[in-house]
Amino acid sequence: MFSLKPPKPTFRSYLLPPPQTDDKINSEPKIKKLEPVLLPGEIVVNEVNFVRKCIATDTSQYDLWGKLICSNFKISFITDDPMPLQKFHYRNLLLGEHDVPLTCIEQIVTVNDHKRKQKVLGPNQKLKFNPTELIIYCKDFRIVRFRFDESGPESAKKVCLAIAHYSQPTDLQLLFAFEYVGKKYHNSGDTNKINGIPSGDGGGGGGGGNGAGGGSSQKTPLFETYSDWDREIKRTGASGWRVCSINEGYMISTCLPEYIVVPSSLADQDLKIFSHSFVGRRMPLWCWSHSNGSALVRMALIKDVLQQRKIDQRICNAITKSHPQRSDVYKSDLDKTLPNIQEVQAAFVKLKQLCVNEPFEETEEKWLSSLENTRWLEYVRAFLKHSAELVYMLESKHLSVVLQEEEGRDLSCCVASLVQVMLDPYFRTITGFQSLIQKEWVMAGYQFLDRCNHLKRSEKESPLFLLFLDATWQLLEQYPAAFEFSETYLAVLYDSTRISLFGTFLFNSPHQRVKQSTEFAISKNIQLGDEKGLKFPSVWDWSLQFTAKDRTLFHNPFYIGKSTPCIQNGSVKSFKRTKGIPGT
Amino acid sequence: MNLRVSRMASASTSKYNSHSLENESIKRTSRDGVNRDLTEAVPRLPGETLITDKEVIYICPFNGPIKGRVYITNYRLYLRSLETLSSHWRFEVDTCLFQDSSLILDVPLGVISRIEKMGGATSRGENSYGLDITCKDMRNLRFALKQEGHSRRDMFEILTRYAFPLAHSLPLFAFLNEEKFNVDGWTVYNPVEEYRRQGLPNHHWRITFINKCYELCDTYPALLVVPYRASDDDLRRVATFRSRNRIPVLSWIHPENKTVIVRCSQPLVGMSGKRNKDDEKYLDVIRETNKQISKLTIYDARPSVNAVANKATGGGYESDDAYHNAELFFLDIHNIHVMRESLKKVKDIVYPNVEESHWLSSLESTHWLEHIKLVLTGAIQVADKVSSGKSSVLVHCSDGWDRTAQLTSLAMLMLDSFYRSIEGFEILVQKEWISFGHKFASRIGHGDKNHTDADRSPIFLQFIDCVWQMSKQFPTAFEFNEQFLIIILDHLYSCRFGTFLFNCESARERQKVTERTVSLWSLINSNKEKFKNPFYTKEINRVLYPVASMRHLELWVNYYIRWNPRIKQQQPNPVEQRYMELLALRDEYIKRLEELQLANSAKLSDPPTSPSSPSQMMPHVQTHF
Repeated sequence: MFSLKPPKPTFRSYLLPPPQTDDKINSEPKIKKLEPVLLPGEIVVNEVNFVRKCIATDTSQYDLWGKLICSNFKISFITDDPMPLQKFHYRNLLLGEHDVPLTCIEQIVTVNDHKRKQKVLGPNQKLKFNPTELIIYCKDFRIVRFRFDESGPESAKKVCLAIAHYSQPTDLQLLFAFEYVGKKYHNSGDTNKINGIPSGDGGGGGGGGNGAGGGSSQKTPLFETYSDWDREIKRTGASGWRVCSINEGYMISTCLPEYIVVPSSLADQDLKIFSHSFVGRRMPLWCWSHSNGSALVRMALIKDVLQQRKIDQRICNAITKSHPQRSDVYKSDLDKTLPNIQEVQAAFVKLKQLCVNEPFEETEEKWLSSLENTRWLEYVRAFLKHSAELVYMLESKHLSVVLQEEEGRDLSCCVASLVQVMLDPYFRTITGFQSLIQKEWVMAGYQFLDRCNHLKRSEKESPLFLLFLDATWQLLEQYPAAFEFSETYLAVLYDSTRISLFGTFLFNSPHQRVKQSTEFAISKNIQLGDEKGLKFPSVWDWSLQFTAKDRTLFHNPFYIGKSTPCIQNGSVKSFKRTKGIPGT
Repeated sequence: MNLRVSRMASASTSKYNSHSLENESIKRTSRDGVNRDLTEAVPRLPGETLITDKEVIYICPFNGPIKGRVYITNYRLYLRSLETLSSHWRFEVDTCLFQDSSLILDVPLGVISRIEKMGGATSRGENSYGLDITCKDMRNLRFALKQEGHSRRDMFEILTRYAFPLAHSLPLFAFLNEEKFNVDGWTVYNPVEEYRRQGLPNHHWRITFINKCYELCDTYPALLVVPYRASDDDLRRVATFRSRNRIPVLSWIHPENKTVIVRCSQPLVGMSGKRNKDDEKYLDVIRETNKQISKLTIYDARPSVNAVANKATGGGYESDDAYHNAELFFLDIHNIHVMRESLKKVKDIVYPNVEESHWLSSLESTHWLEHIKLVLTGAIQVADKVSSGKSSVLVHCSDGWDRTAQLTSLAMLMLDSFYRSIEGFEILVQKEWISFGHKFASRIGHGDKNHTDADRSPIFLQFIDCVWQMSKQFPTAFEFNEQFLIIILDHLYSCRFGTFLFNCESARERQKVTERTVSLWSLINSNKEKFKNPFYTKEINRVLYPVASMRHLELWVNYYIRWNPRIKQQQPNPVEQRYMELLALRDEYIKRLEELQLANSAKLSDPPTSPSSPSQMMPHVQTHF
């Protein structure tokens, strides 16, 4: 997908002159040995010394010297030189400044200047020349370049091949998260260290994890249990809905959560019968209820044509019955109204090309129309607009809304989440937003493994989750006071999908986690006991990645707690601040 | 609490209806007893008189026709709707446009650029007969009138008369305005003080009064700063070689490295490639005031093609062989005609309807942001050359009153944090634009009916847009907020103040503008809190280099699309909103205090010896934010 033109830097300073870093003044005692920091279960596969990391294209004056390492988790560049030009305000505890997780790698290109040869490296490929340069295209729009002019040609080649091999695994269980969690089970009892890093404030291993820090230690509901769903019903005041356990042990559907919420008037027995008619046996799932009683429901298509009308009628009647005012149901066919996942992916590829691949001056000239041509913003707008229309149905028309989609696990995730972010201030808090992602994405069977393309089978890739985060960012821009979290939080959250250590964004469904990790546990002689599969660390345990100080950047300083935006006619109209001054 | 909520509404009004601020001042004057005969219907400034009123139908481009009464004074067109509005209506148009559920339009006649009759005596169809008014501030107004009687003819004639007073030998409203403010904006800029602030005169630079009677250059200010080593006779000789005698003079000097920004017009090289020893020597003298670098940098704001083309009309640029010690760069900024056409295209895509489906490419095709980018890029180069390159810089375009003013003032804003304060910015505008002869009268066409005049161009608006782009990129660097920039633009057209009237200082002096009119800075500085940026953090020595990339430039939606209720920003910045609330609360308490004092003094039937005007009460209750 990337052209083989010589890459341009991903960062360019427009500042004249280049900003002065005071690194030179700060001369802390330097560690002489260039050793990588490794996580439990992480091993160094190959390494090469005297590597030059290129920082700018037009000059080598900022280049850094160091050692390039490939482990089973990341590529790591270790250097004594201070990082010039660009500095981030926060630092990931799992990764060094120059590290790239293997799951973040998109494409690997090796170059030999002298022979004028270039090769894109796939897994298990041979390389007939000694590379003088390695270019890594990352999924997060970075382009990283290393030069091997001074390094041993053989070891340079070995590192390149190792990176190509380890970054493109063929099997889910080869992802580092399994190695890591396996090691943790073996080492259980050693509680002083977490992830090989002295733990500052002791984030819990698996489970819900802490809030983003800064005082809030609320646990994120994961919706793995009956009680989480029950609490959500009570929180939203949804009378007429109940938690249903028929999918316990994934007996009905392997792509639904074990517990789902259904209209009280539908009996388990009926649901079991109906489930056969739905694509993937995905029967209607309750998402949320408005305080006026209108519910948001998502479901797959009914594939059984003969039964279609009848079942549809039964379901709609049941949803109407669950509404305190017996309001009608408004059905939204997402496949007909929104761009499909392939279109979203195509837009994203164009956006990426625009942002990283072309020479800066060329893209600058036609920046706005090129941006428009990617259609990315058009699609973000389509999702926002449609969600706002559904908000109108729920809030002003007092109608329950049913989202329909072939499988009900792609567009539905995005629309269901956006509607709830717009309507429910709880989902604009950090804990609430995380619970929303658990509820509408992780548990609802969004196929993170395929859509993030962790295994590099590119035909199923689509950045719907990113589109959702982008749409949320757009709302944050329009309502700076309505969100507890910041832009940084959204960026860091998306980066976390590229770190294959957390269970959150690794699987296509909760069932897949249980199945795969049980297999893995058996093969590694890990005793699971009562647990359903291995407990992977949760992304929501932010202390694994960031210090408490850095986590304060997740908080939006403009946030005003109590707020109820009202959204109408496809555009967000007015934001009402709560009246009254505190203390008067 | 009710009071507070209604106050809140008026605070948020200011964002979209700048005239609410003026209403504030009206209230004050009425309280002072200056003007007590205000009718309920129309707000009136002291000196403003009602000419006529008519029943019309206002054809709102966003929500359709609505019946109302229009009042025309010698200053404004004011419309109040007569119908009660349907709830749908009220929802669509934000409440801020309404008072007591009626729609209000409050338009200074100065913003009108063109009045057209639409429909004839025979035209049919609802609301097809009336007036179509084009405004300078990115909107149009349409009124439908009854065909019978002469209501349209009357309204057309009255509007034409008072919107274009110059054609009818009438004075601009600024000369009739009797507003009083507790500060005098005309004292804000004192050139001697400003040059003293810059550390001038010094060993190399002197203040000259050679232009005291505008004899050297009639479009320059009376007071100029020139190299110490150049005599007045030298200046006179240089003047013959510069277009309109606009000789190179100092705009700004770097406090540490003593490099300078010098501005002028193009040299009169002509087709034959004339040279002038005095001009060459003069530039060399400028170069020598700075010992650090061997070359003087000349920025010609024009595209090189245009600079060459200017030779045909006697102008040109400094050639290498004539000016050995100078380096010349062209900055590729287009002329006033290109800018005017570009802004026209912006209006086409934002008013009345915003082109949603191809918004970005439509915006790109206006080239407006591209022009902004070039102006900013040019200013960045000037600032960088002076600050980091340690080289003195000479800036010119053709006449040195449009692009040159943009470049010097923006570079100064980047280099000198003083200009980023409210008063500093006023001084910058007063100095680089008003005193150095940016032709406001010609560019804006105050009171002039010739809307197709090729001299009109939004050069100053473009400068303010650049300032806004900078304030977006450096949210803590400016003392003023967006509202400050918007009110400046509103009064650029309104003709209520003398600040932007006439083309140059000599004309202003002839008209005794400072004696006969009020300064815009009087209005602003007597109400400064409303224009303050709560994020402002003073940093003395910071040079601002904005990123002039398309990736970072934005259309200033809150200005260009502010009339469209569907597009305007959803919600004011929460910090600014809170700030406004606190200000409103403070005003409330001051008012209450005054009432109590009044009641008290009435009881004592003995007036207090010390006057208790609100401004004097403020220090006691002022809170610091």
